[in-house]
Amino acid sequence: MTFDPKHTWIRQLAAFAILLVLWEGAGYAGMLNPLYMPTPTQIWRAFVELFGQGTIWPHMEATFTAALVGLALGIVVGISLGVLAALIPPVAELLEPVMLLLNAIPRVILAPLFVIWFGIGLGSKVALAFILVSVVIFFTVFTGIRQVDRKLVERIQTLGGSRIDLLRQVYLPSVAAWVLGNLKVAVGFAFTGAVVGEFVAASRGLGYLLSFAQSTYNAALMMALVLLIMAVVLVIFGIAGRLEKRLLRWS
Amino acid sequence: MRLQKQLAGTVTSEFPQSDIGILFQDDALLPWRTARENVALGLGFRGMDKQRALEAADEWLARFGLAGFEDRYPRRLSGGQRKRVAIAQAMALKPKLLLMDEPFASLDAIVRARISQEVVELVEREKISVLLVTHDLEEAIALSDAVYLLSQGPRARVTERYNVPIPRPRDLVRAKSHPAFAPLLQKLWSDLLREVDMSAGAEAVERTARAAA
Repeated sequence: MTFDPKHTWIRQLAAFAILLVLWEGAGYAGMLNPLYMPTPTQIWRAFVELFGQGTIWPHMEATFTAALVGLALGIVVGISLGVLAALIPPVAELLEPVMLLLNAIPRVILAPLFVIWFGIGLGSKVALAFILVSVVIFFTVFTGIRQVDRKLVERIQTLGGSRIDLLRQVYLPSVAAWVLGNLKVAVGFAFTGAVVGEFVAASRGLGYLLSFAQSTYNAALMMALVLLIMAVVLVIFGIAGRLEKRLLRWS
Repeated sequence: MRLQKQLAGTVTSEFPQSDIGILFQDDALLPWRTARENVALGLGFRGMDKQRALEAADEWLARFGLAGFEDRYPRRLSGGQRKRVAIAQAMALKPKLLLMDEPFASLDAIVRARISQEVVELVEREKISVLLVTHDLEEAIALSDAVYLLSQGPRARVTERYNVPIPRPRDLVRAKSHPAFAPLLQKLWSDLLREVDMSAGAEAVERTARAAA
């Protein structure tokens, strides 16, 4: 039997279909307790219900807003601090230990604190997404700038370029490349921050729905939500990947 | 332009900084700029209008046989093509003095022969002075009007000067069959071996002093 690599997706799809059928069959045969393990059709029904009644939209909106605002703020602040720290050594002395500490801890543990500081509204979710993203971007930019190719710097200097030219021709494109290279990680973190923030305390959002489903022991709804969040993040990954490909077409 | 602070003494030059071009062995092109944009860089730094700088860059690329490659990013150029872009980048600034540190060392033999010949012709036509540092004695003789032997570092100094009586314009292949070539090469070798022990690696400095013309 031969396995043509071109047909990998067919085999993956077939395996997935078989799994679904077995799962569904086991549910029908009464081998699965629906309280813990709903069947695929039950999950699908919960999924359709979410969209059919339109209840999902305000929650999606809340999560997207928190994640994207946190992402944008995290990128801007992460780049700014990273550039400052790389160019001004005293700033690095102050910032680096703080960032290392923030990087070492699972930053989602800050979620309850942010709820106290910023309330159960959008603020605490944005803050969590922001802190998750900004630390990653900071290190990307900080280490990146210090590793800029000396040869490129010398080249610009021997061609008579000024410090401004150096910034425009070498440092900015390098920073853009590193940030774009880490964009997918940042997007993942932004949604993690938003959903976990909502999970801890909120009145809206996908994370809030999850915690609601948990409190009502609604496993089907939970799984539908997990699938939905996966789909959402995959779509955004796709967009980030396109952006990366377009802007880094030289690499 | 200054890459390093002088440790002692004074640095004098007949040329203003803007007349000096530099080519290193592993010159890096900006990977995020196309061949055209890379060549236009220096012109832009000098305040040339962007559109005009790009047009001038296209002309330089065409002179080095890179017409049609203007929009390629360095990643999509071969080693020899990248070297040509780097040379075009330096030449576009119309230097009067060109400092080269083993600029052809990273190229394979055939590409290297072609590019050296192109550079020789350009340098002869544009009357550019060249100071070339190389370990390759044949290259040193074939390219230059005078060869200086540099003693082993640290504190390396010029220990000898040799005139190269091969006439210009030069064809690098034919230069090697010039009657003066083999004797000079032999002399250089023996002096060099006396100067430094083999293991440490030798360095010869040579100079193409076409400038005076």
